[in-house]
Amino acid sequence: MNGSKWKSIGIALLLASTPLSGALAAQDVLVLARAEDPPTADPGFEISNSGYTLTYAAYERLVAYKGASTEVGPELAESWTADDAGLVWTFKIAAGHKFDDGSPVDAAAVKFSFDRLMKLKAGPSDAFPVLKEVEVVDPQTVRFHLTAPFAPFISTLAVSGAAIVNPKVMEHEKDGDMAKAWLAEHSAGSGPYRIASWERNQSIVLDRNEHYSGSQPALKQVVIRIVGDVSARRLQLTNGDADIIEQIPLDQAEALQKDASVVVESNPSMYVNYIYMNNRQPPLDDAKVRQAISYAVDYQGIIDGIMLGQAKQMRGAVPSGMWGHDPQGFQYSYDIEKAKALLAESGKGDIHLTYTFSQADPAWEPVGLALQASLAEIGVKLDLQAVADTTKRELVANGKFDMAPGAWTPDFADPYMFMNYWFDAGKMGGPGNRSFYNNSKVTGLVQEAASIVDEAKRKALYIEAQKLSTDDAPYLYIMEKNDIFARRAAVKGYVYNPMLIQVYNFGTMSKTE
Amino acid sequence: MAITRIILPRLILLLFVVLGVAVITFTISHLIPGDPARMIAGDRASAETLENVRRNLGLDRPVVEQFTIYIGNLLQGDLGTSLRTNRPVAADIRTFLPATLELGTVALFIAICLGVPLGVLSAVYKDGPIDQVARTVSVCGISMPVFWFGLILIYVFYAKFQILPGSGRLAMGIVAPERITGFLLIDSLLQGRFDAFRSALYHIILPGFVLAFANMGVITRQIRASMLDVLQEDYIRTARASGLRKGMIIFNYALRNALIPSITLLGLALGDLLYGAVLTETIFAWPGMGTYVVTSIQTLDFPAIMGFTIVASVGYVLINLLVDLAYMLADPQIREV
Repeated sequence: MNGSKWKSIGIALLLASTPLSGALAAQDVLVLARAEDPPTADPGFEISNSGYTLTYAAYERLVAYKGASTEVGPELAESWTADDAGLVWTFKIAAGHKFDDGSPVDAAAVKFSFDRLMKLKAGPSDAFPVLKEVEVVDPQTVRFHLTAPFAPFISTLAVSGAAIVNPKVMEHEKDGDMAKAWLAEHSAGSGPYRIASWERNQSIVLDRNEHYSGSQPALKQVVIRIVGDVSARRLQLTNGDADIIEQIPLDQAEALQKDASVVVESNPSMYVNYIYMNNRQPPLDDAKVRQAISYAVDYQGIIDGIMLGQAKQMRGAVPSGMWGHDPQGFQYSYDIEKAKALLAESGKGDIHLTYTFSQADPAWEPVGLALQASLAEIGVKLDLQAVADTTKRELVANGKFDMAPGAWTPDFADPYMFMNYWFDAGKMGGPGNRSFYNNSKVTGLVQEAASIVDEAKRKALYIEAQKLSTDDAPYLYIMEKNDIFARRAAVKGYVYNPMLIQVYNFGTMSKTE
Repeated sequence: MAITRIILPRLILLLFVVLGVAVITFTISHLIPGDPARMIAGDRASAETLENVRRNLGLDRPVVEQFTIYIGNLLQGDLGTSLRTNRPVAADIRTFLPATLELGTVALFIAICLGVPLGVLSAVYKDGPIDQVARTVSVCGISMPVFWFGLILIYVFYAKFQILPGSGRLAMGIVAPERITGFLLIDSLLQGRFDAFRSALYHIILPGFVLAFANMGVITRQIRASMLDVLQEDYIRTARASGLRKGMIIFNYALRNALIPSITLLGLALGDLLYGAVLTETIFAWPGMGTYVVTSIQTLDFPAIMGFTIVASVGYVLINLLVDLAYMLADPQIREV
């Protein structure tokens, strides 16, 4: 090393000895702190909400959820029509939308994106079970051909997997991977932002997409910092180093509410906690036993005691806020006498069950303990079995359990997401019918509802299916949870959409500090 | 030569260790219930999608075949592809290992710089007030939980007085220097990036000190004990009798001999640093191997877990080898054996 190098090291050490200046983020930079790095940013591959934070910011879809509503409106598509059978859908693409390299979004790009999605055939492609072919009619017109009528089709076009990807990404293809490796950490969309850099496990920087067709976002940059420890995240928020923090425990959320510079966002969501009861396994194969258990749960006690009021009891399978929800639907209530009577009627005695849970959701263990206490009152013994989350999923998928808690969120805004997954006898195990519920009448109703387009008729079918299934009590309907995160009061313009948990409308948000 | 006699068997041993670790981790990963395909495609994936993902990952092949492929790739330096991030595990490790090594090196440096003098003073002024203080500090270091100590420091230095940053390796808005060694402190200096150097230095102080603290306790205790032994030796008494200066006796004669048993300790300390790093990295959002392996375990990302285990075990064997070599250099008698 030469002399000047040594001198520069000396200067560096000198500089290092001056005190740290305040590190508040600039007004046009938003810092979001969360616990984990998103797995990937490839819309064809990503299935976690954490990754959706990136895919929704970087890409546009043909249609999108508008504001706080669960209904879809135009995004890339300015209009669309369907034939009477619901098999052919034609979309007109609005002019002026551009990818972040300046090339226009056209019908060929739409076809490319869906061909890629269906060829990858990873998780996101499951939203399109009947997609046969995408056809380019002219540069601004694209046509989708389905093999069977699929009522939620237009709604599925708003999901993360339906993002329109710039066909030029194929320049980054390696070993026939359809640019999967590159898209995992980069973006090639027409959304308001693009991924500028990604330091794994440290931070992701989103920059404005210079070619975005909408109005220029106020936030020049969005930085997602990965901060594993919840106390550290909280300190960053109160110190002003982070503008939004996610995954805060309920008791900490309560404490944060006292800080005037912080707003705790708590919004009703379609994230439900329910309990699968294995309908194939005696004595839970007897509807009377399941009903008895449904009456033995102290729903309000769980919501007040465990959730500190940040939830409400489910009413049927379709959550409130989604069409197809039945506000008059039957709700089981905490009634020990009725539970005892039903159990006596069933003739089953000496019942011993296991509740298999993991720590994936912090509510599952206390809910299990509450359940254990109330079931003891009707003479049912419940053992709590804690396992790793992957083990729990595997046991559930294979039907090797008595009772197990579960969480569910819809991917798109259609009762299909609940009814057809939970009750179709053809979807037992992993895919969704995790209580192994088999009622041919209900299966018929939900299948019919998925294959017709008339929304009023579909609603009637789903409500009838809910009535029948609630009576059979295949699941314990525990609660719809609030979605909670904390932001600095200076962050303005956030719009909560129950379909887009952990997804922010960065493009229309701003800071006033 | 004696050196080749020591090194060669170790290198052969290394091969067996890697193979053994690969067999064990591979077996465990196939015994734990949990389907990697389900992790990738999502819980509610359809049977066809699961089948497709399984085929793409080669999980539909017989276990023995999967293992043969894994070992074959391993011999070519390919650790497989992470299920979670979709990146080669080797690339992930190249990204995260330097951060952990940098943190560990700084922590070891702090631990030695504080632990050795403290141990010496403690022995020289045995039972005096300095000794009491040193012993208290070392007990605290050994018994204080890393996460608790870390949070206290974050609270005091970051939240309360805003003297030091509480997370990450660099301040926001500072572009990382081009990667040469992966050590930000070194890379930034080599490129004359003083802003990055300063930021990196500030960021490493708290996690470095937290990680150093436990090891400092162990080092202090060890140095104190071996110094006390050495100070009883005849040659020290002779040196004293011949009127040599006290400082000369302590540093030139006593400490040098007291350090020999500490070499093993330093090897162990280095291993401890890797363990401690997992917790420290989580608290300080340090993007190193610790956080990587924790998230990999949470998501049952087997290729990543196996890659980490293999790299860590190679590291251990190499550290042991270095310790033995250091012994030989320090104590000529061992060279003769």
